[in-house]
Amino acid sequence: MFRNMFKKTYAKIEPESEKIDIPEGLWKKCRICKEPIFAEDVKSNFYTCPKCGGYFRVHAYRRIEMLVDDGSFIEWNKTMPISNPLDFPDYETKLEEERQKSKLNEAVVTGEATIGNVRTAIAVCDARFMMSSMGRVVGEKITAAVEKATEEKMPIIIYSCSGGARMQEGMISLMQMAKTSAALKRHHEAGQLFISVLTDPTMGGVSASFAMLGDIILAEPKALIGFAGPRVIAQTIGTKLPEGFQSAEFLLEHGFIDAIVERSEQRSVLKKILRAHTSGFKKVARKESQDENTEKVTEKRTKVKAPKTAWDSVLLSRRPDRPTAKDYIDRLFSFFLELHGDRLSGDDGAIIGGIANYYGKPVMVVAEQKGKSIKENKIRNFGMPNPSGYRKALRLIKHAQKFNMPIICIVDTPGAFCGIEAEEKGQAEAIARALFEMSDMTVPILSVVIGEGGSGGALALAVANEVWMLEHSIYSILSPEGFASILYKDAKKNKEAAEVMKITSKELLGLGVIDRVIKEELPLTVDTMDTVIEEMVSNMDDFFEKNSSKSKEEIAEDRYNRFRKF
Amino acid sequence: MFRKVLIANRGEIAVRIIRALREMGIISVAVYSEADRDSLHTMLADEAICIGPAPAMKSYLDMERILSAAVTTGAEAIHPGFGFLSENEKFARLCTEVGIKFIGPKSETIAKLGDKAVARATMQKAHIPVIPGTDGSVKDVNEALKLAKKVGFPVMIKAALGGGGKGMRISRSEDDFAENFMTAKAEALKGFSDDSMYIEKYIERPRHIEFQILADSYGNVIHLGERDCSIQRRHQKVLEEAPSVFLDSKLREKMGKAAVSAAKAAGYENAGTIEFLVDKNKNFYFMEMNTRIQVEHPVTEMITGMDLIKEQIRVAAGEKLSVTQKDVKIEGHSIECRINAENPDKNFAPSPGRIESMHLPGGNGVRIDTHIYEDYTVSPFYDSMLLKLIVHGKNRQEAIAKMRSALGEIVIEGVDTNIDFNYEIINNPYFIDADIDTSFIEKQFKM
Repeated sequence: MFRNMFKKTYAKIEPESEKIDIPEGLWKKCRICKEPIFAEDVKSNFYTCPKCGGYFRVHAYRRIEMLVDDGSFIEWNKTMPISNPLDFPDYETKLEEERQKSKLNEAVVTGEATIGNVRTAIAVCDARFMMSSMGRVVGEKITAAVEKATEEKMPIIIYSCSGGARMQEGMISLMQMAKTSAALKRHHEAGQLFISVLTDPTMGGVSASFAMLGDIILAEPKALIGFAGPRVIAQTIGTKLPEGFQSAEFLLEHGFIDAIVERSEQRSVLKKILRAHTSGFKKVARKESQDENTEKVTEKRTKVKAPKTAWDSVLLSRRPDRPTAKDYIDRLFSFFLELHGDRLSGDDGAIIGGIANYYGKPVMVVAEQKGKSIKENKIRNFGMPNPSGYRKALRLIKHAQKFNMPIICIVDTPGAFCGIEAEEKGQAEAIARALFEMSDMTVPILSVVIGEGGSGGALALAVANEVWMLEHSIYSILSPEGFASILYKDAKKNKEAAEVMKITSKELLGLGVIDRVIKEELPLTVDTMDTVIEEMVSNMDDFFEKNSSKSKEEIAEDRYNRFRKF
Repeated sequence: MFRKVLIANRGEIAVRIIRALREMGIISVAVYSEADRDSLHTMLADEAICIGPAPAMKSYLDMERILSAAVTTGAEAIHPGFGFLSENEKFARLCTEVGIKFIGPKSETIAKLGDKAVARATMQKAHIPVIPGTDGSVKDVNEALKLAKKVGFPVMIKAALGGGGKGMRISRSEDDFAENFMTAKAEALKGFSDDSMYIEKYIERPRHIEFQILADSYGNVIHLGERDCSIQRRHQKVLEEAPSVFLDSKLREKMGKAAVSAAKAAGYENAGTIEFLVDKNKNFYFMEMNTRIQVEHPVTEMITGMDLIKEQIRVAAGEKLSVTQKDVKIEGHSIECRINAENPDKNFAPSPGRIESMHLPGGNGVRIDTHIYEDYTVSPFYDSMLLKLIVHGKNRQEAIAKMRSALGEIVIEGVDTNIDFNYEIINNPYFIDADIDTSFIEKQFKM
């Protein structure tokens, strides 16, 4: 409105043209979003871009400082003599230059520290030094750290980041892959924990050796992780690679990493993992029962008639508002770290599992998970696991066995998924393998059927020391509809089938297939599950108590006998 | 002196600063958000740079965009105004780091005075009275009574985690202390699951009286007298006046000296304000120091004849203060009303919109600082202040008469305003008698 209508009042003097000097390093440019950002914001933001959230590479010592208890880090093998096994021309000069430039002796820093007061070995690769490629010194420092961790019975955490093998050291570099892997195998055989954290980029000889061997493998968001470099692959096969190829997210989806953890959360997650595998969690106080709330809910509850027939129970077990595995996990445990992937081919959404905190006791939870919406069911496949799901379950069960954690299985599936791909990937083998391996685990296994216990798909998580059922859940050889179509050649005779199949909790308790029935409020929903949780907790306490006095052999023997009797 | 100064603000204060720069012959650079394209400060400044979209986080609070604007335009200094980044220690530091003068105190000073505990300790060290109270919490009644006696009755018993009046009791003497302490403690336990208590001196009928100070980089500090800002609604100042009729010249001198030593103790430079609470027995206590120019600075300008913004710029440019303490003469009485686009009947909800028509009063002793004009649209993105109406009379009575006349004349159409609310305050008999304290609005308007 008034633009250009006001008269200027300053005298037109030519400026002395003194350009303002901006000190170096005050601003940085984000290499991802290209926006200018303040260097100090980057630091306080765990070296991520405050604007786009992109991750920057972190120097090894700074990384250690971010993770470990203040002042607890003691470095091992800070210096190690340079080696030039191939007498590669100018390699020594190159190394010397890298040392000057990065102020590091080599591409990895190793040592010990405490995280949440748990003593652990730690090795952190630093990309500033020759892209953290693995030569003899890197391999040696990592191997030495692993050996020391094994010897002193402590966990090891390795933050990897590498372009791959160090070309200048030729075959000696390749041998580091075998050397580090062999040391980790001994660490594994000694029952010790290895947490591998993959950061951007973890490629080639490093990803194909120690980086992929973690008991638990974590990754930073969007980190590039793979064997062959994306450019090499694209050139070799002559096609364009899909978006997100070889990203941490890509690996998670394909079953090779347990979880993607934001940098700001890493210390806290590592602390919990370490506690779960060593001293146990801090004791958690038990909540008092919330009688007042329960009463309130009772008033507004929709009325559901008590089931009279077996078919009524089938309908109840399938109600969409019935609590799913996650609801039980939320209520039973104060902490749950979901571990993804079967480390073979995928991460099945119908089975979830991970480490949980049961009043201070670390336990492994493996559960069949139904979705609550169509959208969620696209991921959960309506609770019908693929072979990859059972293989993930088995991987976690073996993990629990190694670290002596009790296992809690939650069963809720219409059945194992029935489809072409499931058969191609070996559905039968996957279920069989689960029964086979679970049978002689030396940690106590408890399985609880919370909804539908559909056939082999359910049994694969129920080769347990005790199997419980919620009052109106079902556990069956087949769905009543399927049973009717096979025996009566008429799927509509489902109601009759349900009666004769003996699939209700009461009937199965009578048959000795299950050991306990947990009473339900009607209808069972997230709002009315308090009493179920209370009864589960009190019986779980007994279950753990009972098994704590038993030897490993007795625990396995009990389970064997439990199934031998049928 | 600076050749070019950037104003990192908007609205009325940006216009006020640009006017000062125009008077001084300094090139002004405005920064504006997309919503302020047609704002007066954008048009009045010699140069203007758009620094981002309407939300302040992405424009007026984005340090890096403002600094980039300063660097690109070659501004040598930044005036932060009030609000936004004016008391941001990091912004002040970054300005210094890129070689731009921040018109205000040093970043360390802002940091020190921004931390309540550090500020309190600094003042205690300089022998400035602070509200007496316990340093830590107390649970035992006998120990609490001992502390209460030390602080002096009446005392306020407060829950450490308290809020909203819960777990809060006034004890007037030793006799009712134990009872009040136990009640407050029980309430605290019930309300916050923690019964740690604090004992603090209860300030009866407190007035909010603040002293304007000016300091140069040569260690010279003067004060420009006080402002009485007791007329507040929910701790927001509504109307301010200077001088305060509650202070006699002896107390004014004493408090002024305290304010000067407070500024010296903090190593202060540029314009600042020391806020005090004054109880009915005229005891005064340090509350906090504001390290920027204040909204209500014009009332001080009216009674001292000084231009505070120009003083700020001069001091920042390294000049010495233009006056000494004895040159400061207080003449007459000044009152300021803040006219906001808000609806007092709807709990003072902001009322953005287009100014359809308006008439502003003027004449002898009437000053208006504003950025609005006919057809201007008041944005919902920023605070709702439309203008500051300031009057200056030879005494309080004349100032009130001028304000009454001016408020009665002002017309703003298109948005709701608090003009009538201000009119009621100015006509309130307690206000006219200067029988006011910080609870005035709560008591007189039942809100």
